[in-house]
Amino acid sequence: MLQSATETVNEDKQNPTSVNDNLTELQQKFMETAFNFAYNALAVQEVPVGCIFVYNNEILASGRNTVNETHNATRHAEINCIDEVNNFCRSKNLDVKKIFSEIDVYVTVEPCIMCAAALYDLHVRSIIFGCKNDRFGGQTVFNVASVLNPVTEVKNGYRAEEAMNLLKEFYKGTNPSAPLDKVKVKGKKARKPSDEATLKT
Amino acid sequence: MSCPPKKIKLEQNTDNQFYPVLSEEFTEPTPMIDVYIDTVTDPRNISKVVVELNTVLPLPELTHLKRIKGKDVLLFPCNKDTAPDMVCEILKKNNFDISYLKNNVRTMSVAEIAPKTRKQYEVVHKLWPCNFHSNKYVEKLCTNTLFSASEIESHVNYMQVAIDIARFSKDPLSIAGVVVVDPKINSIVAVGFDKRIDNPCQHAVMVAIDNVALTQNGGAWQQVNARLDNQASLDLRGIPDDILDVLKKKYRNLRFGATKFKGKCEIETPSDGPYLCTGYYVYVTREPCVMCAMGLIHSRAKRVFYGTKSENGALGSLCKIHTVKDLNHHYEVFAGLLEDGCKKLKQK
Ligand SMILES: [Zn+2]
Ligand SMILES: [Zn+2]
Repeated sequence: MLQSATETVNEDKQNPTSVNDNLTELQQKFMETAFNFAYNALAVQEVPVGCIFVYNNEILASGRNTVNETHNATRHAEINCIDEVNNFCRSKNLDVKKIFSEIDVYVTVEPCIMCAAALYDLHVRSIIFGCKNDRFGGQTVFNVASVLNPVTEVKNGYRAEEAMNLLKEFYKGTNPSAPLDKVKVKGKKARKPSDEATLKT
Repeated sequence: MSCPPKKIKLEQNTDNQFYPVLSEEFTEPTPMIDVYIDTVTDPRNISKVVVELNTVLPLPELTHLKRIKGKDVLLFPCNKDTAPDMVCEILKKNNFDISYLKNNVRTMSVAEIAPKTRKQYEVVHKLWPCNFHSNKYVEKLCTNTLFSASEIESHVNYMQVAIDIARFSKDPLSIAGVVVVDPKINSIVAVGFDKRIDNPCQHAVMVAIDNVALTQNGGAWQQVNARLDNQASLDLRGIPDDILDVLKKKYRNLRFGATKFKGKCEIETPSDGPYLCTGYYVYVTREPCVMCAMGLIHSRAKRVFYGTKSENGALGSLCKIHTVKDLNHHYEVFAGLLEDGCKKLKQK
């Protein structure tokens, strides 16, 4: 059973209640695929987030962050998957709205505010994510659901530690495309908000 | 009630009356807290009482407040465990000589945090004296006096361009236009108009962000050939050819193109060269939605100007994404720029 977003988001990291037991074997397999894309992202020095869009138990789109590759900070795994589903629907002359409303999203990290809004606006059926996103999370940093009243069900916690470790691994290095003075060390406070630039998911 | 006759001059001026969308910490009254106060028996003891109290009952959370107002002295904050009749006991327990006081304990509402604007200061200072460090920039924002006449004219001009761009939108039900400007060189870097009829994510802002990426050898939605303005060697890839032609004809005084993108190895000084939308101003005919507003935060835009409010707007209507404290980047937002012209677009 999918728990509501608000019920799960406040759970402590160490909370032994894992959603592992709640995911079916097939769902776990989908998450495994999403993780593969996250590992792939790390290998090419992109923020390690992987994402799968599932429709009728079939993978309709899969992707990872391509922010550095595209020089576009909005090219998150979820947005790439939305593009893919959109292209698929148009090539097959399918009803885009209807397809999205039956999509289950599997993503290794909590969707950011931007992606959460995009997914809620598309009325995707559910989102299952791994770890929280302390920097940009659409629940953790700003609860997008509180202003958009989504129909989407959200569930989290599956392989959270592994997903978080991937992010930590990435942030240990530096963002290859940010100018040198704009790369800040994690935890250090930047001087001026308008001048700073950090690594992003 | 009868309305005074409208003057044409005034009506024209409303175009320029855009305003900053500020965080509540600047627009709302300062949060208040209740404290216990008492009166000093002999005014000659005031400084002694203050020194004594600061030693035995320091108030590290309320350092913005003066300890004394006339003959009244601030003791400590009220809380549900201490009734007014217990105050004396607490003072005694802390080895404070209560004979200095009239034993006339009262509650007083004072500023919980230091006021952030002069307006807030003037209110809370009357209740209880407090420190205030005026920030010139914040004051200009709060009183909406940040821009000079020529700057206002420039903002109006760019929004006028955004209105023209909006007319290229593909769906009459969602019309929006965006102009991205590099204020350092006063040039239009990229434009965007609504294409959500083709792709649910292609809101005008998201399209403009991707067009900025085109000028930096990136981009996800389009591939374009290199196009340079020969005279200024500015990169024109952020503006589609047909739109550029239209704009160049209509706006002979405007500049077009982005500073040439430099690869990592070409960058000599660290702040050199464009990086995402860093330092850029974004003019958008209507208030961006949550997705677009956050996209602009990821992209590190410096200022966002919008014309008309949106029901699903995230920069003042539904929420103020740009004031979320925990985010690592914040841009400034100004609303109501050419509001009438932008509103008319929506009705078409
Ligand atoms: Zn995202
Ligand atoms: Zn939008």
